[in-house]
Amino acid sequence: MAAAGGDSNGDSDSEEMLLTPAQLIHSLEQAWLNEKFAPELLESKPEIIECVVEQLDHMEANLKRAKKGDLKVSVHHMEIERIRYVLSSYLRCRLVKIEKFFPHILEKEKSRAEGEPSVLSPEEFAFAKEYMANTEAYLKNVALKHMPPNLQKMSLLKSVPKPNLDSFVFLRVLEPQENILVEPETDEQREYAISLEEGSQHLIRYRTVAPLVASGAVQLI
Amino acid sequence: MEPAEVEFLAEKELVTIAAQFSLDRIHLIGGDLGPFNPGLPVEVPVWLAINLKQRQKCRLIPPEWMDVGKLEEIRDQERKEDTFTPMPSPYYMELTKLLLNYASDNIPRADEIRTLVKDTWDTRMAKLRLSADSFVRQQEVHAKVDNLTLMEINTTRTFLTQALDHMYKLRTNLQPGESSHSQDF
Repeated sequence: MAAAGGDSNGDSDSEEMLLTPAQLIHSLEQAWLNEKFAPELLESKPEIIECVVEQLDHMEANLKRAKKGDLKVSVHHMEIERIRYVLSSYLRCRLVKIEKFFPHILEKEKSRAEGEPSVLSPEEFAFAKEYMANTEAYLKNVALKHMPPNLQKMSLLKSVPKPNLDSFVFLRVLEPQENILVEPETDEQREYAISLEEGSQHLIRYRTVAPLVASGAVQLI
Repeated sequence: MEPAEVEFLAEKELVTIAAQFSLDRIHLIGGDLGPFNPGLPVEVPVWLAINLKQRQKCRLIPPEWMDVGKLEEIRDQERKEDTFTPMPSPYYMELTKLLLNYASDNIPRADEIRTLVKDTWDTRMAKLRLSADSFVRQQEVHAKVDNLTLMEINTTRTFLTQALDHMYKLRTNLQPGESSHSQDF
């Protein structure tokens, strides 16, 4: 029977073990674009980042041994620069989101169940915690400590905006899905189901397709 | 997303060049290229083709669709239909710009090609504005955007999605402070 695609979980993640380098770069690019367009911070991909860094280091070590001025060497250097750009743009994009939504991300991290994958890499987690501590210390020193005692408390969780999951995103379908329920915009309209055919492109609310982004069934564009 | 980043993605597309040097296969991380022999056609990504062209090490062989006759057909088709017609390449605009900027001497009737692609683009943008308008007016929550290319989506993305977010917020009447500032990305 047709699978209810709307609530499929990201439990197919452990499949990406044996990738060729080309597939690896492709999945880095997919992760980069998804991260760029998703309103919330997506799950971190430590295995992809690790492998890409390894590939780059390996290639650079090889190039050191090659003779200079060779056409081949310059082509390799160009490719390395391109991959490095995607990698750093991806990581930078994640840092921007962490700085923007840090109280909520840390809160989610705190309530995460044992065994459930973290959205943050260990380095990002350290960064988020430090950012939180610094922000709190700064606000305290600059303003709060000069306030009357009853006004010296503030909750970052309440004052920092949450990611807007209702925002619209463009996507391309990688794995076909059926019966995706689309909630109506106004009360007069009715809820209806759509199917996502492979290769088709859509404009829809992020909330509707968030599980599909996580499982890799759709690609944000 | 910056237009330059869309162009960056377009630069991964393959084009054919005729090399003016010989070189064994290159084993890049993203896959193998070559071997290169003088005069023989070989497929390379656009970023490499442009670099080699700038160093006068190759001649570009334009993609099949980059041809006045074919592009005229595409333009006329685009003007005739109400919906978006499929484009010959998902990066037709970016590739036209890149290849004509760096290798116009290898592309016959380059100026006409530039005009034809621009005409097609303009027609599509007009359609895009119309359909965005009706999407907003009818308060739709889902649209199929097949055949739109990334560059086209990108030119309308910020404006359209932010407008929709603002309207949604006004309509659902959220309390200020709750999530009313979550969109100044």
